[in-house]
Amino acid sequence: MRDFDFLEPASVAEASRMLADLGEDCRVMAGGTALMLAMRQRMLVPSHIISVARIEALRGIRFDPVEGLRIGALARHTDVADSAVVKQHYPMLAAMAAQVANPQVRNQGTLGGNLCYADPSTDPPTCLMSLDARVVLGSARGERVLSIEEFLVDYYVTAIEPDEIVVEIRVPAPPADFSGLYTRFLRTAAEHRPLIGLSLATRRSGSTCREAVLAVGASTPIPCRVPRAEQFLAGKTITPEVAAEAASIVAADIQPVSDARGSAEFRRDMVRVVARRTIAGLYGLATD
Amino acid sequence: MSKHLIEVTVNGEKHSAEVPARRMLSDFLRDDLNLTGTKRGCETGICGACSVLVDGEVVKSCLSLAVQANGRNITTVEGLARGDELHPLQQSFMECGGLQCGYCTPGMLMTACHLLERNPRPTADEVREGLNGNLCRCTGYAQIVESILDASEKMRGN
Repeated sequence: MRDFDFLEPASVAEASRMLADLGEDCRVMAGGTALMLAMRQRMLVPSHIISVARIEALRGIRFDPVEGLRIGALARHTDVADSAVVKQHYPMLAAMAAQVANPQVRNQGTLGGNLCYADPSTDPPTCLMSLDARVVLGSARGERVLSIEEFLVDYYVTAIEPDEIVVEIRVPAPPADFSGLYTRFLRTAAEHRPLIGLSLATRRSGSTCREAVLAVGASTPIPCRVPRAEQFLAGKTITPEVAAEAASIVAADIQPVSDARGSAEFRRDMVRVVARRTIAGLYGLATD
Repeated sequence: MSKHLIEVTVNGEKHSAEVPARRMLSDFLRDDLNLTGTKRGCETGICGACSVLVDGEVVKSCLSLAVQANGRNITTVEGLARGDELHPLQQSFMECGGLQCGYCTPGMLMTACHLLERNPRPTADEVREGLNGNLCRCTGYAQIVESILDASEKMRGN
């Protein structure tokens, strides 16, 4: 790995000024799992690394019944998975975080870093999109808040400005009738990166789905919602036939990528299976 | 090319050192502290041979900078045994044949150590799941899983 300077700002404003001064050649580091990998493979050769690990404003996980959840950008996947308030109020988010990558990465990688890297083959963005999460960006100029849809622009590209860092992730308080499920599908059990992530967040009354938000990721350049499937599910009693029809809509409406890990057609077929199982499973139906 | 003075506790012993920013934690442990139990395998975060505990939690030291470990408490495979008394995991790996060439073993032991700390009574599936960041090219894993289940019983006093 090439040499670089390592900087440790103590505040968002200080980090932002460093980023503005150093420009393109610097990279922000949180846990560093993805960045170190990219640097070791010489995909990135920054002159400076700005570690945000000392910025206290980026820490903590807090819940308020009105405001919802605030997850500091430095929260590691393990912290999200183990958090009592996340487990209580957003079990699908805690369960997702407990499955990201592998134990070593979960103990070091952060939610903020994960979102900024915008790797398509990962779990958190898809799950957060279905939960209508917001990303809070901070700089010396102040703060702005973007939806996940606005934040994720393309394959490894985000809407973050050069002098901004992610401060926290906000998730609205779930309604009393909330019911949701995130499913990751791996091509083989030994893989760390999902071939498909599918997240379903609904408002539910017994076996009836009153409202649905459905997002697909890992098979698409960035996670996407599937409005036609959401509208189809809204107001329906979920039966095996309804789950299958909704799944066909999901498979038809996404634009899957083709790469070494799977062709677009294979991914579309698997998305159909995963969508049907997720919808059926969430509503207590057999998934086979 | 900044240099940094770091203080880390490794296996209970305090060390101060000046390290260049780019020094990886795995290289710091092996080349600066001569703790060669921690292995460099793929050096790209796949194989887990370099796994160590940082503040009690398992991480891959090939994906961490030494400077990130400043002020932290690190345990490597050399820190598992107490004098001549092997850690129950080491004992079980030996008794159950949980290794062949042994190169992945330090990483397996450190990952298993954290796994049993979090879940003292894992099922075989939970052990397999917990090892998904560690590769072994010899054993086929069956005896590694068996070793960890055996150690979990030993550590619970059975």
